[in-house]
Amino acid sequence: MSVTELRPRTPAETALVNLAEAAGADEDARRSAIEALRREGLPHRRVEAWHYTDLRALMGRRLGKDQAIEAIAAKEAGSTESVLAPLVAGSTVVDLDRSEAASAPTGVSISASDDLADWHETPNHLDRPVDTIRVVNAAFGARIAKIAVAEGTEFASPIEMRSGIGAQSHAGCSVEVGNGAKATFVERIEGGGSPAPSSGVSYLTVGDGAEVLWIIDQAKDSGAAHLGQLNVTVGADATFKLFLLNSGGGLVRYEIHAVTAGEGSEIRLRGVNLLENDQHLDVTTTLRHTYPNTTATETFRNVVTGGHGVFQGMIKVAREAQKTDAKMACNTLLLSQDGDFSAKPELEIFADDVQCGHGATAGEINADHLFYLMSRGIPAPQAKALLVKAFVDEVVEELETEDAIAEALVAKIDAWLERSH
Amino acid sequence: MPAVQETIDQVRQIDVDQYKYGFETLIEMDVAPKGLNEDIIRLISTKKGEPEWMLNWRLEAFERWKTMESPDWARVDYPPIDYQDIHYYAAPKSMSGPASLDEVDPEILRTYEKLGIPLKEQEILAGVRKADEPSQLDDDSGTPPAEGGYGNRVAVDAVFDSVSVATTFKKELQKAGVIFMPISEAIREHPELVKKYLGSVVPASDNFFATLNSAVFTDGSFVYVPKGVRCPMELSTYFRINERNTGQFERTLIIADEGSYVSYLEGCTAPQRDENQLHAAVVELIALDDAEIKYSTVQNWYPGDKDGKGGIYNFVTKRGDCRGKNSRISWTQVETGSAITWKYPSCILRGDNSRGEFYSIAVSNGRQQIDSGTKMLHLGKNTTSRIISKGISAGNSNNTYRGQVMANRKAVNARNFTQCDSLLIGNDCGAHTVPYIEAKNATAQFEHEATTSKISDDQLFYCMQRGIPEEEAVALIVNGFVKDVIQQLPMEFAVEAQKLIGISLEGSVG
Repeated sequence: MSVTELRPRTPAETALVNLAEAAGADEDARRSAIEALRREGLPHRRVEAWHYTDLRALMGRRLGKDQAIEAIAAKEAGSTESVLAPLVAGSTVVDLDRSEAASAPTGVSISASDDLADWHETPNHLDRPVDTIRVVNAAFGARIAKIAVAEGTEFASPIEMRSGIGAQSHAGCSVEVGNGAKATFVERIEGGGSPAPSSGVSYLTVGDGAEVLWIIDQAKDSGAAHLGQLNVTVGADATFKLFLLNSGGGLVRYEIHAVTAGEGSEIRLRGVNLLENDQHLDVTTTLRHTYPNTTATETFRNVVTGGHGVFQGMIKVAREAQKTDAKMACNTLLLSQDGDFSAKPELEIFADDVQCGHGATAGEINADHLFYLMSRGIPAPQAKALLVKAFVDEVVEELETEDAIAEALVAKIDAWLERSH
Repeated sequence: MPAVQETIDQVRQIDVDQYKYGFETLIEMDVAPKGLNEDIIRLISTKKGEPEWMLNWRLEAFERWKTMESPDWARVDYPPIDYQDIHYYAAPKSMSGPASLDEVDPEILRTYEKLGIPLKEQEILAGVRKADEPSQLDDDSGTPPAEGGYGNRVAVDAVFDSVSVATTFKKELQKAGVIFMPISEAIREHPELVKKYLGSVVPASDNFFATLNSAVFTDGSFVYVPKGVRCPMELSTYFRINERNTGQFERTLIIADEGSYVSYLEGCTAPQRDENQLHAAVVELIALDDAEIKYSTVQNWYPGDKDGKGGIYNFVTKRGDCRGKNSRISWTQVETGSAITWKYPSCILRGDNSRGEFYSIAVSNGRQQIDSGTKMLHLGKNTTSRIISKGISAGNSNNTYRGQVMANRKAVNARNFTQCDSLLIGNDCGAHTVPYIEAKNATAQFEHEATTSKISDDQLFYCMQRGIPEEEAVALIVNGFVKDVIQQLPMEFAVEAQKLIGISLEGSVG
């Protein structure tokens, strides 16, 4: 494979390496990550896992010109922090960029760790020699905050984790949810207008019989770039629910990699991607079924009024994972000629008694539905808005979550729809 | 749901150790020395009596090929191929080019008979000639066919290693204005057509294997159907690899001029050998305004034994160009052979209102690896495409569907329906699906479905209303349009294909 060959670096790749070095590269872990970044460069369209998100070219547009690194660094440092209300009232807020520990609800311990992010962490879900997001994260010196939820603990209000609010940042966290516990987490990704990407890598372990809802609310400024990754291990009879809402950012890739760690686990991934202007949004997921009798459902709904949307979904079923029931759907509404959407829903199946399926659709608003509403006196713009709202709200409903959380998500979606129509 | 017994039995019947066509024909061959270099290309070109421009085209492709790397993105695994350890030309010694069947070595004719492709008996089989009547192949004057007599006949071009040994019904096709001949002959006799269309769909620089083919292709079929002509019979090419250590590099070029129609079938087999043999073909289809091309393949190259020893490496580039408005290209494939299949018959839907179809049944057994699918590239307005793919894996095999559907910005109202189901038999095989769906146009409607209920609600409703259970109804409908083509295959093929068609859809995974 030619990927490992040394080749001349693009200006953007050089700029990124220099930026990482300028931020400090004393520790071994960072040095090794910077070396990996220097050696491998950024993935491009001929790298299968990044086929639709040519990071080398996209970064080239942001960092490729004669922009001095000092200017980029200065811009990051100059950003001001804004006050942000939690997504759901009453949440415990943890700022991942700060090293001090936050006060935690009973049964939960939150400690900011000085451990550096390690890009060698296994497994490597995309089967590449380096996992680009983890390499960038480690090269820029992300530290891993630790959150632990004790066995059997249940708490209603979410723990909200923030990173990069108001500044370009690289964060990491490791969350352990004990057996039988029940918890909700909100990952807030906001702010930041730097040409260089911010990044976040999280590791989540869901204990046996535990139930976790993880919400990712990505609403960065339109000029910002972000690389995010969530790695989840789901224990026996555990339930992992995820909701990803992408409603901002200029160049965003979020990877979700889940693997089962016991029989009877359930994974439910839901997501809404709202695209406008010249955004580039990429959601890449892999689900690995390695134990029998596990179920997974995955639904992503995309509304495109501009920009480039990408969905890559992979379901892998190992030989021993008999009776797996996995379904994946990716539905896209194309509302404008200025946008496009590419989907790659993949299946890799080695067990013979499974039910796996995927569906992908792309198209404009159904003319019959529109006609139905208009014939009842609803003007076209409102009728369209109603249909778009119904299209995305459905995904929130499927999450079957508490009212407060569902309302908060719907409110965010509504605000975007209002803005873009 | 696991596969039902009926399906398991049917797949077993075509398992790798049941390969029927593994015999070898012992016959004196004229073989070029092993290796690939300019001299070999010049030799091939000279043997074929090619004009200068063709040789230059080959040499240019060869220069290009030397700079290319073999692709590694497919889910197939094989040791590196030594391209210098292959004979690039092998031809039966007894003939330089067949003028009529009588000149063909009887040994070769017997080979084809064993394979179920009786070149002479074709006519009798089709019922247009009694056994005691003179064959039209022998007799130039030929009696004009009875009314409707064309219907069931198949004109065959038989390719034995590097040369075409026989083309049947040539005279009659000529009367209709249809040109059907080995491509090596077409280069000499119709250079203007070949020059105009060769490489216009699959450029010489397209991909590693296509470029290799462009440099060293030896034979294949050439078809030209003139304006407004409905080709009076099925055309067919039968490929046979016989010689040891040879590669087969055939090139097929089919042009359907405005308002014409042609249906074409290819079949392939090879002897049972311990070593792997390379087959890198290129097929180009061109459909002009209102033309239709149906292309069917029954691929049954030797798949190797149950431990994965031997077998054909089948690296094929097939592409159809719906160049004219309202044109239509349909690919149907039944893939059961080859150790490795790397094949993506595609349609470029350039003309407005053009239509592309891809129907595939791929069965893998033993240690076979199949990575196959299609590309539907919507460029023109109101273009439609349909993809139906059924993959069945058994033994230790891996069966991958890889397909791309793309609607360009200008492809207003593009429409695609894709369904790809796979079925696993046993717990040592794998079934994989890798679709790429790219919508760049808001009016494009793409549906990629694994659910069987979406085929056509109307058809389904019709069947179910008459008391056919849903699953049977679905099978009936899916098999309906595959059968459409398969029923027109030569008898021996049809029997084998029918076995596959009978396979239940029960337990399919998406």
